[in-house]
Amino acid sequence: MRVTVDVKGEDTHEIDLESVPTDGDAEPTYQDLLCEIELSPHEVSVLVDGRPVPEDQPVDSAELTVLRLIKGGSPSAGG
Amino acid sequence: MTGSTAELVVPEAIRDEILERARDGRPEEICGILGGEYDPAPDGRSRVRSQYPAENVAETPRTRYRIAPEEQLELFERLEGRGEEIVGFYHSHPRGPPRPSETDAKRATWPDRSYLIVSLEPRAVSAWRWRAGSECDATASRFERERIVRPDRRR
Repeated sequence: MRVTVDVKGEDTHEIDLESVPTDGDAEPTYQDLLCEIELSPHEVSVLVDGRPVPEDQPVDSAELTVLRLIKGGSPSAGG
Repeated sequence: MTGSTAELVVPEAIRDEILERARDGRPEEICGILGGEYDPAPDGRSRVRSQYPAENVAETPRTRYRIAPEEQLELFERLEGRGEEIVGFYHSHPRGPPRPSETDAKRATWPDRSYLIVSLEPRAVSAWRWRAGSECDATASRFERERIVRPDRRR
């Protein structure tokens, strides 16, 4: 399957799922796809049809949106 | 944190809207997205055309902010539908500091975008570009201060 990965605010990638190395799993996961485009699950969310999907699940959609997270904060007692 | 020659053009009306939201939202942090013309160059000049308020869904909103991915996507689509680009983001620090905190630096993920910070104590509005370090040297990642200018001001 050919997967289109739209990284919002950046590039759109076309990736052949068959060419994605897996971490020992039979099928590539969303995390494997992220690794392919050098993004970490810690910095992004993967969405399918506008809804976040767990990164450790096998890819089952041909169109994905990747969003870099928007978060932060001010100092608290814990720093 | 270092300085840079980048600039962020912010219309006064938008700055006032964000300040008002920050005051009304106190003691919690408020957040949102800035749309307009984005210039990633080290001496780039990005221009804010619109601000898109978002809900702060952080678990501890008095000291943290987070925009839910679903709302983020919805706002990006609205922004793109108006012919704008993602210029950056804003959030408030109800009790300061008037600069990015350690938490902001740890959680920043948008290279070269502007992070506008509204501090209420002391009252100050500042803008910063997140410059990501290389894969080999992630410790080089840092916020660079950029100048906020009004639309009518020339370089």
